[in-house]
Amino acid sequence: MADTAPASELVTLEVDGRSVEVAPGSLVWDACERAGVFVPVYCAHKKLEPVAVCRMCLVEVQGMPKLQPACATRVSPGMVVRTATEQVRKFRDSNLEFLLLNHPLDCPVCDRGGECDLQDFTQRYGPGQSRQSITEKVHFNKAVPLSDKIILDQERCILCWRCVRYYEEITGEREIVLQERGVHTLVDTFEHQPLRSEFQGNLPEICPVGALTHAKYRFRARPWDLRRTASICSHCSYGCSVFVDAREDQVARYASSDNPDVDDSWLCDRGRYSFPELNRKDRVLSPEAATAGGRQVVSYQDALGRAAGQLLRVGSDNGGEAIGVIGSDLMTNEEAFLLQWLARDIIGTPHLGHRLLPAPEISPLDFELGIAEIEECDQVVVLGPLPEQLAPVLTLRLFKAGTKRARKILRVEAPFTVAAIRKQVIGEGRVGVVAAESDREAALKLRTALTGAGRRCEVLTLMERVNSRGCQDLGLLPGWLPGYRRAPSPGMELPDILEAAIAGRIKALLVVNPGPDLEADPRLEAALKGAEVTVVVAAFPGVASRNATVLLPGRTIVEKAGTVTNAEGRVQRVRTAVEPKFAFPSDLKILGDLARAMGGELGAQPLAGPVYDLLARAVPAYRGAQAGLRPRWEATA
Amino acid sequence: MFRELMGGMRITMREMLNRPITIQYPEEQRPVPPRHRGRHILHRYDNGLEKCIGCELCAGACPVGCIYVQAAENDPEHPVSPGERYAVRYEINLLRCIYCGYCAEACPTEAITLGPRLDLVDYKRERLVATKDDLLEAWPGFQPLPMAVAKGGGPAASQPTPLGAGSTHDGPAGSAPGLRPPIPGRRGPGPL
Repeated sequence: MADTAPASELVTLEVDGRSVEVAPGSLVWDACERAGVFVPVYCAHKKLEPVAVCRMCLVEVQGMPKLQPACATRVSPGMVVRTATEQVRKFRDSNLEFLLLNHPLDCPVCDRGGECDLQDFTQRYGPGQSRQSITEKVHFNKAVPLSDKIILDQERCILCWRCVRYYEEITGEREIVLQERGVHTLVDTFEHQPLRSEFQGNLPEICPVGALTHAKYRFRARPWDLRRTASICSHCSYGCSVFVDAREDQVARYASSDNPDVDDSWLCDRGRYSFPELNRKDRVLSPEAATAGGRQVVSYQDALGRAAGQLLRVGSDNGGEAIGVIGSDLMTNEEAFLLQWLARDIIGTPHLGHRLLPAPEISPLDFELGIAEIEECDQVVVLGPLPEQLAPVLTLRLFKAGTKRARKILRVEAPFTVAAIRKQVIGEGRVGVVAAESDREAALKLRTALTGAGRRCEVLTLMERVNSRGCQDLGLLPGWLPGYRRAPSPGMELPDILEAAIAGRIKALLVVNPGPDLEADPRLEAALKGAEVTVVVAAFPGVASRNATVLLPGRTIVEKAGTVTNAEGRVQRVRTAVEPKFAFPSDLKILGDLARAMGGELGAQPLAGPVYDLLARAVPAYRGAQAGLRPRWEATA
Repeated sequence: MFRELMGGMRITMREMLNRPITIQYPEEQRPVPPRHRGRHILHRYDNGLEKCIGCELCAGACPVGCIYVQAAENDPEHPVSPGERYAVRYEINLLRCIYCGYCAEACPTEAITLGPRLDLVDYKRERLVATKDDLLEAWPGFQPLPMAVAKGGGPAASQPTPLGAGSTHDGPAGSAPGLRPPIPGRRGPGPL
């Protein structure tokens, strides 16, 4: 609950002899948490409304004849709560006995075994042994596929309603229902329809037991096999916080990590189940070079020397302008900054890019509105379905703003004419405009049109991939230097670089971490064939790696360390969750070594931290922002 | 001095009449105590299904981390073990194992026990990482696992290794625990 209430308004109560102050309207559960007293819960969830059905959290409140559910009882001044009395202990014990009555106790084969609340609380509060034989249990259906992503085990369910309430309160889709009554109650989909939601992956996470499990994580690992790393989902520009759970060199699953400013603890299925792509076995595993005797595996130093030598030769013969530098929005901020520095200062070319879509006009106004601030806007205009397709979790934020915060959400269809939309936006207050990047001009026009008359209008544009925003911020673009300063002499956009390479005007290409859209572009192959020298840093084999004169093994986003910037401009850290299968330096060090081999001096170690310091010197807004903050851009920039 | 010499010779003479206690190892082997903790055995039920369900509790209990288990889902038509889950990979690094028996204690289905076998020697370290083929109890209806086939032939086709000798038996069914008959032609296939 709101901890920001003034001290005079706080309610003082006593929990297990400790005096705590909480905001009025808080739950006893919150007060217990404040007091550092753990109360076991199954049905209660921080993001869901209380229902008090599991009866696990019952505590003693002085003056009340019976035990009270901590998850649904509001605090009152002078309340005395006791959680450690004999009555509470006995109640928990017998409550767990009831929950375990028909629970199959198949923990050894249950995916939740090891991180299950029923296991944990039984161990902590439950009866040491059962009074009932395991053969007397009533059985229900096991391994019922609710969709191709979620598997339901009906006999493990303890009927906490979390999944049902999640669908009611968080997504509004109401796909899961409780069927029948009393002891016959079962969780199932309505009329056995498969789940269609885009947010099913959250169900196994809110399920306190192993009733709902991920099909993609089924029997893949036990919790004690997993190494957990806090990182950022690599799927889209929304930048949800995730835990990357890795088993050996494989990502076993993505688990959500609550970041109230961005994801609000929910992930979309596209992001959550995007990890198999990162486990691909076909990788670029060693440096290679095209030599007189054909393509050969060479040492790292050899490959580096060849790459630097070839680029320098083209540079001295034809000038720096004959070299094109291509990055991608899969690079971290540090890599993007280093690459644009390498291109501009060492190679001396203005022709650099990371995206096939040209960006002639960009500014920090594109992401003035923060993701969490959507809830604070009185009215939110969403331009077409594209924003929610780019970042599915946005849908949940809009739903929350529309229901819990009672904000007006206007989903408008193309064409986005200012006059039509203006009619629908009524009254004063704060107006948010959420648009896909391709509609940024319409969004900015709308911003100008809606501002004024007691209204403030801000825009949030959503982008394609994980670090699309960061690559713009850091000037991996022909027309823009780091920090949205215009380049004095703009170079060619990426498609023009490819065309120029095909035409022979660009003699050398440096391609780093080519993204899927670039790999799919038919011009890339022709461009790589047209250029004399192609230095490629790639994680996966493809068009770029096949046509490289010098190839260096790159890393995937879960193998990198650094920062990425999400659509709202928040700088967040990605950490190395999986060690790569080869013993070669990171992409960042490759770029640093390449610069040094070409005679450049970075003035810092090519590591994420020192390079971030350099970058923050060039882009003052980024200073001190790597702790998950949004840089403050000057509005005039 | 003479007396001492005679004393010593008396023992020598007496022992000359006794049978030698040495045996022709490895052709002959001594029975080990019934609770000896030697190389692990993965057991089967009488119907041939594996007892192991791939729960990894053995790997979790293992103090040295020498057990690696990868579970998979049973095909209901051709189950490997009863229930939903079975171990598709089960490997024990016998060089790292300290033979403490915690794995057997942790096992909820009594699938793994430590057997009588103690001659864990080889010329290659890699071969002392025992796989499921090596550890699993033989059974007349034995079907090679898909992964065993992928590795290059099932137990019958694989080159006999000192550990498992292809077929993975540590004694005929029903033999007294700890009494291991000598394997004829040590490097040949086992009795089954």
